Amino acid sequence: MNNNFAVFIITHGRPNDVITFDTLKKQGYTGPTYLIIDNTDKKANEYYKIFGQESVKMFDKNEIAKTTDHGDNFWNLRTTTHARNACFEIAKELNITYFLVLDDDYTAFDYRLFIDKAIVKPVKNLNDLFETVLEYYKTINAASICMAQGGDFIGGLDNGKELYRFSKRKAMNTWFCSTERPFKFISRLNEDVNTYLTLGNTGSLFLTIPFCSITQKQTQGTKGGMTEAYLAGGTYVKTFYTVMYCPSFVKAKIMNATNKRIHHSLVWNNAVPCIIDEKYKKHV
Amino acid sequence: MKQFDLFGGEMSAKIETKYTSKIQAPIYEPKNKKPFTLELFDNSKTSRLITEIKNSGVDEDEKRFLIEAARRHTIFNYSKIADYYAHSSIEMQGLMERSALVIIDFEKAIEFGFVKLNDDITQQFLTENDEQ
Repeated sequence: MNNNFAVFIITHGRPNDVITFDTLKKQGYTGPTYLIIDNTDKKANEYYKIFGQESVKMFDKNEIAKTTDHGDNFWNLRTTTHARNACFEIAKELNITYFLVLDDDYTAFDYRLFIDKAIVKPVKNLNDLFETVLEYYKTINAASICMAQGGDFIGGLDNGKELYRFSKRKAMNTWFCSTERPFKFISRLNEDVNTYLTLGNTGSLFLTIPFCSITQKQTQGTKGGMTEAYLAGGTYVKTFYTVMYCPSFVKAKIMNATNKRIHHSLVWNNAVPCIIDEKYKKHV
Repeated sequence: MKQFDLFGGEMSAKIETKYTSKIQAPIYEPKNKKPFTLELFDNSKTSRLITEIKNSGVDEDEKRFLIEAARRHTIFNYSKIADYYAHSSIEMQGLMERSALVIIDFEKAIEFGFVKLNDDITQQFLTENDEQ
């Protein structure tokens, strides 16, 4: 594995339930892994005890909050936004250029390939997969690239014209980042969407790689983390953060899931500039 | 581990030709026709808001702020913008690039890299599952 790379797992209040840590080991990742916790975590000592002093990195939540656009004035620091932003500084302190930021509730990393038929199979050697994705990231000028998530594939891979019909310009869950390409996550809720949309709208490139995906423990089914915040406000509140940031191309819409809920709906053609071949650029 | 098909060809090469044709990177192919600039954006809501702001009784500073904020409602049509870019002068292209109205895929790094990534991950999958 590239020695200039590490995995960061952002976590809070559930040292005995860092599912991602176990999943990484089970699926063959042997590189450095750091747990990113904040200084308000009452279970910090347990994290240190379980994972070791060297593998747990703590950041000052209030300090990061001072330089973060929350999208509201509630000063409610219950958000993963600060941890994501802290990762860039922590990577620098560790002298790491490339890092992968994960949440703490991933139960699987899968291949999502189409070889005669759609294939969903667990990855056995995550070292190789991370290395391969990282190589792509290095060659393009993207702020970040991510793997897909299970929900991206609802409705099938193929619409007859192309495979992987979901938008590849989104970015969620598994953020390959670099200290040389810093960016700031924004907003208290829906920070992933608000970040890739507001930055994407002004030309930063975010991509989702559809050939591999993660499975997350069912949303709002785990204790701790962001669960309580989302249960308290429902998806209604978080949706309107995105409408507020991007009023020209985002609307609130009823999402037809098992439990009907409000969700953001966006028009990609109005959201991010198109990527076009260099051949269209004229030269003197 | 290399795999060979019945005719002695390497399996990985076969995979590339058979499957990667449908794997598309999110690259936009500009159309042959240059659109009118009016097609590039829709500022109808912005205009309505600005008229309302100008006719309001709030002070000039507040008006300036509200007018800038109203521009957030202008809808840009990025595929039309990419079409327009392809048919624009060098100067116009430069200004559009600086305003990030298009993203240029230099040396096809994004497009070719995307296809190669699929091939590499497919190969890794086959290798892993061949080792069983």
